[in-house]
This record gives sequence, structure tokens and C-alpha cells, in this order.
Amino acid sequence: MALKIPIPGRKKESAPEPGDGAANGNGASPNGTNGDGPTRAEKVAKAKQATVHHGTAAAKNTTDWLDERVNGTGIYTAMLSRKVPKGTNWFYTLGSSVMFIFSMQAITGVFLAMYYTPSATEAYSSISHITNEVFLGEFVRGLHKWGASLMIILIFLHMARTFFFGAYKYPRELNWVIGVVLIVLTMVMGLTGYLLPFDQRSFWATIVANNITASGPVLGPYLADFLRAGPDFSATTLSRFYALHMLVVPGLIGGLIAAHLFLVVKLGTTAPPWVKAPRPKGSRPSELVPAGVPMVDATEMNLNGHSGNGHVEVSENGASLPTAETDGAAEGPPSEGEAS
Amino acid sequence: MKARDKEEYLSEYEILKKKGKSFFPYAIVKDSVMFVLVAAVLILMSIVMGAEQGPKADPTTTTYVPRPEWYFFFLFELLKVIKPPALVPLATIGIPTICMILLILLPFYDRNPERIPWKRPVASISGILVIVAMGYLTYMGASAGSPNEIELETAPEFEQGKQVVAQAGCLACHNIGENGAEGGLGPDLTEIGAMLPREAIKRSVAIGPGIMPSYRGLGEKKLNEVADYLASLD
Repeated sequence: MALKIPIPGRKKESAPEPGDGAANGNGASPNGTNGDGPTRAEKVAKAKQATVHHGTAAAKNTTDWLDERVNGTGIYTAMLSRKVPKGTNWFYTLGSSVMFIFSMQAITGVFLAMYYTPSATEAYSSISHITNEVFLGEFVRGLHKWGASLMIILIFLHMARTFFFGAYKYPRELNWVIGVVLIVLTMVMGLTGYLLPFDQRSFWATIVANNITASGPVLGPYLADFLRAGPDFSATTLSRFYALHMLVVPGLIGGLIAAHLFLVVKLGTTAPPWVKAPRPKGSRPSELVPAGVPMVDATEMNLNGHSGNGHVEVSENGASLPTAETDGAAEGPPSEGEAS
Repeated sequence: MKARDKEEYLSEYEILKKKGKSFFPYAIVKDSVMFVLVAAVLILMSIVMGAEQGPKADPTTTTYVPRPEWYFFFLFELLKVIKPPALVPLATIGIPTICMILLILLPFYDRNPERIPWKRPVASISGILVIVAMGYLTYMGASAGSPNEIELETAPEFEQGKQVVAQAGCLACHNIGENGAEGGLGPDLTEIGAMLPREAIKRSVAIGPGIMPSYRGLGEKKLNEVADYLASLD
């Protein structure tokens, strides 16, 4: 299906093209494939009425067109107009900094790959070529080399923040696990990338790293053989490290970053642990009381062995409050269909 | 974590989130400031330190002592701390693996609902200790200097022997002046000339007493140069 972005002005007068009906969302489209057809049609009709000048109309139409297909507004609402809790501070920029530097590594890596030759005979000279002859070659290589160190520093700082803020606790345990795997993969990137310049330092460090791997329990020798592409270091070893360094591991990192971010958006970022919600003593927030669940007063809670510090808002029988389900609904206007 | 704690956390969090600000633009602005800062540091590092290229890889030099990237120093130092050869696999693979598993499973054995760092002292102190240990090991690795370089001043006639010693990888186990493995597997060689006569040194290098490997493969000429140099250290 050809992508057609409706052009305002023309679209208003001209009859919809054959195959374009659904795309413009003009009234009830014959193919009722859109689950939420009626609302969409209404929305589009409204948008048309509201056409004040062409700029807004164009934006509106494009948004509608995209919304029908990818639910752009839903994604926007979930990703960008979500709320970050009270007390969010500069420590919370560490994670996105790691992602930023990973993108830097990806970009500089692509440019290095344009000039690099992953063969045992030519690797060294291609690096010399990049360093000495290519325009800004040494600068880009420097960015990539030091970017690796910076990424390690930032990722450990990010982990330290998560650890000391207790942010790995319920309900974010899985995101911690993904994060630890990401740290390991980042170290693997450092290890595989270290060989690629193919100078003495990188060559012998890789030999040692491989011998260390081989001394590992059970899988060690097999893993080392796999990395070396055989029992000994050979020309294939370099291309194997190259493939791991620029295809396998970055792919895994990219995928896991997506999962990491998905969970961050879904569960929300934590507030610093010392920031507490101010609440009148002994009360429980009315918006959290589900219909039909009786209020539990402080004395009752004390009988259950809990100090009546005014923070308790759990019904006796442990009926769950609706907070767990309010994830999407609480953020932004409840537009049709949240991104899910 | 009990169901009660979970619900309490979730409702508390919901309130804090309602009181919070929108991710766009408030958090985005902070993130962007940080991005600019990170990019500036990175560009500065690249310009100031560049990306130097060492000598080309040569699989025939069997004596080059490798050094990893700095963020692997703590693993390398761990290797040095644990000396008995039988335990070396434990240091290299065993301990990092155990640490990794402990790290991954952290949320599953730390079930304390408390999040404030000073109210969960065991977790916080363990975390600080791990950071201190890793920092110390990294510092040790960084301050060891290049294992292929001896900074100790020497008379010009012994310069040749000094180069051989440096390149042969003696510093992986021995210490000479400011360089090498301080407290490593082998004895300190800084004043070896005062302790052993030249011939004894030469014999030791050739035979390799105890756990030391034999360096007879260096050849008679180089062995003599090494012996001359080491005997001059006093």
C-alpha cells in the first residue's frame, strides 16, 4: 500500500481517490477493518470543521492519518507526556545519558566501519589510514575509543543510583535484571572492540582474555574455541570479533534497551526514596478508595500489628487497591487506545 | 515483600506521580543539558587524548605482557591477589560469575520493602564496600604502570639488557623500581645485584627455579645482557 499523506486544501474539495478512502478517514470507510472506526470518523470530521488555517489543518490531518495506523498520539502520550514523580532530580539523567552515548558509539562506529577492514593482514593498516589520512579520522576514532570508557562510567553510575535509591525493588525487578545484562553486554563490547585496532596491546590482551575464558568451568573451553574460531588464534578470530562487536552485541543491546525503556514507561520512574507523599494523618486518599471497600481505621490496623502512622490504606482482607491497574489511565487524557 | 507493602508502595507512588511534572519538557530539558555535558566531555577527551596506535600485532613475540582496558583492571588485579595457580580459574571465572549471579538476583533476595539508603544499612554498606573494592583494584591496576617498561635509571652499557628484561615480560611477576608486579609471584628485583652474584642470576634466568619458567629460549647473548643488567641493580 502506497503511503499517501493527504494534502489539505486539495483534499477538501476533491473526491477521495479509490484506495484512499480509508487513508483519509472520510466518513465510514467501506472496509471496517479499523476497530474504532466511528470515533475516528467523528474525530476527522471535527478536525475538518475546525480547519482555521492550512498549517493546523495539515498538522491535524497528518496526525489523524498516522493515528489511524500507528496510534501516534497514544505513543506520544505514553512516552512524552507521562508524568515523572515529584522529587525527580539530576541523578535521573544518568540512564538517558548512557543511551545517548550508546547512540554516539553507534554513529561513530558506522563511520569507522566505512574505512575499517576486518582482516588480520589489513586491519592495522586500515586503522593507520583512518588515524592519519581520513578527514577527522583520528577525532572520530577518539570519540569511539573514549566513548567506550565514558559509557562504562555512566552505566555504573546509573546502576549505583538504582541500587542506593532502592529502585530495583517491586515492581521494577525485571528492569534491574535487564540492566545487569546490559552492563555485561557493554563490557563484552569493550572486550571485542579492543582487538579490532590489531596492535600489540589489543592482540595480546585478547589472547589473555581468551585463555581466561578457556579456564572457565564447563562451558569455558567451548566458549573460548568459539571466540577464537578454533583451537588457536587465527585470521578468522578477528572477523569473528568484528561480527560480534558490530552486529550481534549491539543488536542485543538495542533490543534490551527497548525492553528497558518499555518497562520504564510502563512502570514509571521512581521518586527518590526519601520523598514522601504529604497526606493528612489517618486519612486515605479518596481517589484510591475503591467502591465498596470499607474504610479501615487506624485502631483496627493497630490490632493487626501495624503502627497507625497514617500511611496505611489497605483493606483488612487484603483486597487490592485499583492503583495497580491505573497505570495508563492516570497519565494524560484518556484518548482512544493507549499505546500498548 | 508482602502484598500490603506492595499496595502501600503503589498508592504512595501514584500520588507522587500525580504531583510530578510532565516528562516533556521538564525531564527532557534536564536530560538534554546532561547530553550536552557528556558530549562536551567526550569531544574534549577525543581532542586532548586522541587515539594513538601501538606497534602492529606480532604473534611471534611471545613475551609481550598484555594490559587490558582500564575497566577490566579490577578483574586482572583479582587474578594477581589470588596467587596459588590452582585457584586462578576461581579468581578469573568463578568470582566474577558468582558476583554476576548475585547482582542479577539482587531484587529477589533483597526483599526488604525499605528504600531509603540509610534505613537499610546492610545493603548500603555492602554496596559501598563493593565500590571501594573495585575502585581500589582499579587503582592498583592503573598504578602498576606498563609491564613492558622500566623507568629505573641505568648506565648506558646496561641499556640493552634493560630492554630485554622489559620486553621478556619479567615484570609480570617481578618488581623493578616503580614498575612491575609489586608483591607479585616472584621476588622484588630492584636490588637483586646486591643479593646474588651475576652467574647465579644468569643460571636462575636460564633454568627458572620453582614456578618461574625457563628463559633459556632468549639465547646466550640476551641471557648475558639480562644477567649484566640485573647484576647492576643494587
